[in-house]
Amino acid sequence: MVLKKEAFFQQLSDAVFEMDEEKAASVAAEVVANEIDAAEAIEQGLSVGMARAGKMYEEEEYFIPELLLCADAMYAGLDVLKVHLKSSGEVKGKIVIGVVEGDTHDIGKNIVKMMLETAGYQLIDLGRDVSPQKFVTAAKSEQAQMIAVATLMSTTMNGMGEIIQLLENEGIRDHCKVIIGGGPVSAAFAQKIGADGYAANAMEAVRMTKQIL
Amino acid sequence: MTPKKRLLRVLNKQAVDRPPVICPGGMMNAAIVEIMTHTGNLLPEAHMDSHIMANLAADIHRLTGFENIGIPFCMTVEAEVMGSEVSYGSLSCEPKVSKEKYASFTEVICKDIPDLLCKGRVETVLNAIKESAMNYPEIPVIGNLCGPISLAASLVDPVAMLKGLRRDKDNAHRVLNYVSNVIGDFAALMIGCGASVIAISDPTATGEILGPQLFEEYAVRYINQIISTIHQRETKVIVHICGNMNRVRNLLPSIQADAISVDALVNLQKLKNDFPQMITMGNVSTYLLQDGLPDTIKKTTKRLVEEGVDIIAPACGLSTSTAISQIQTLTQAVKE
Repeated sequence: MVLKKEAFFQQLSDAVFEMDEEKAASVAAEVVANEIDAAEAIEQGLSVGMARAGKMYEEEEYFIPELLLCADAMYAGLDVLKVHLKSSGEVKGKIVIGVVEGDTHDIGKNIVKMMLETAGYQLIDLGRDVSPQKFVTAAKSEQAQMIAVATLMSTTMNGMGEIIQLLENEGIRDHCKVIIGGGPVSAAFAQKIGADGYAANAMEAVRMTKQIL
Repeated sequence: MTPKKRLLRVLNKQAVDRPPVICPGGMMNAAIVEIMTHTGNLLPEAHMDSHIMANLAADIHRLTGFENIGIPFCMTVEAEVMGSEVSYGSLSCEPKVSKEKYASFTEVICKDIPDLLCKGRVETVLNAIKESAMNYPEIPVIGNLCGPISLAASLVDPVAMLKGLRRDKDNAHRVLNYVSNVIGDFAALMIGCGASVIAISDPTATGEILGPQLFEEYAVRYINQIISTIHQRETKVIVHICGNMNRVRNLLPSIQADAISVDALVNLQKLKNDFPQMITMGNVSTYLLQDGLPDTIKKTTKRLVEEGVDIIAPACGLSTSTAISQIQTLTQAVKE
């Protein structure tokens, strides 16, 4: 049984890593049929596959399209497994994520969101073109421990500083960390506006989140 | 030597007295707030009115010292006529696609291109080019276009677009061919109205996003398809590539552009050493321009000139809060 279980996990991991949505869903269905613990299958199968994909991305062997397709496979497996979870599982922390006002694309943000979800965090996704006030309102109402904010354009960078200012005005800056990312920003910029961290890519965002929260 | 002659000579690989210093327009425009409030030719109005557009482009040329006129000030004209929703932004914030027309490559219907190019702000842009070329015969008017991958990502939901490049190659190529034909035909109209050079910016087509394989399969192929249309009209093309280019560096010579403009992350001296035949353009950091000390801007610019960079330009779109004096420091450093 032990061997069999691990073989299933390996197949789930491979399906994600190989961007095979159908295989991920069908192996997940077999996992359910064999009464293997769904939480274990997610953690030791799907998440492992996604981490392997993330590593390839860091090594510049996989790029954004590959990572998006791996995520599709992961979510296909997850959809099958999550209804069989015995408990909702331990949520490590709540994070509000979005792209600042005036920005067009949110590809990078979606990748960061995906990797943070894979790592066990609960994400509140505000989408793109989000005003600083909206970030803070969401963080407050959701009692989030962190705001992750990205920008692609130098013209919208200042919105990030505004978020931190608003958190301070609301008196919740101590309870809500802020990490930033995206093309035009840097560690130096993060320091300048008083953010808790800067992540150059999704894998770094996960590492940084684990450190901060 | 007139600024137009100087730029065209550089793009023809002919000798010049010194490199031109330009800011092409489009994604890389210098419509900063200080200029607009000074002259009263304002965004977002200038996006929709050819006369204000031409005036603002001339203001930028006159007040910054950039040796060109760049039109338009955004990269949404093409996506808008193809059916995506655009919000025009504000004085300090550029227009953007607020909703892509299609959810996937499969859904895209290829419409009649001459018909599309009668719509939206195409005519506004063409008239602004015409007016500028007439008023400033010695200054190169650069017509700016959105690159094919970025236009595809403005027409089709970007996440679905990126996945489709791998998953649905037939439809991806069908749509990329369509958008490239739109861009090429728009370029031809710009040339007909007096644009002396065409600049293409494709910020979604980076090595970091696509990886070398998809960059070659799509970006290089379709950028070249557009370039070939422009070259048929005996006009020169500048292509701007974003990002660090590490993984796609070896593919650069296969891009048939007359000049390659690069991001601040790229070491231009090294690029010139690696590809001596390539006409290079760049790459004064826009952060430096916004926040740097004048002396640092001057030194950085002079270093680029000394390194033999062929065209001096900002590395990316300028922050709209950059001061005129900072830009003047850059342009004067090239001219003195």
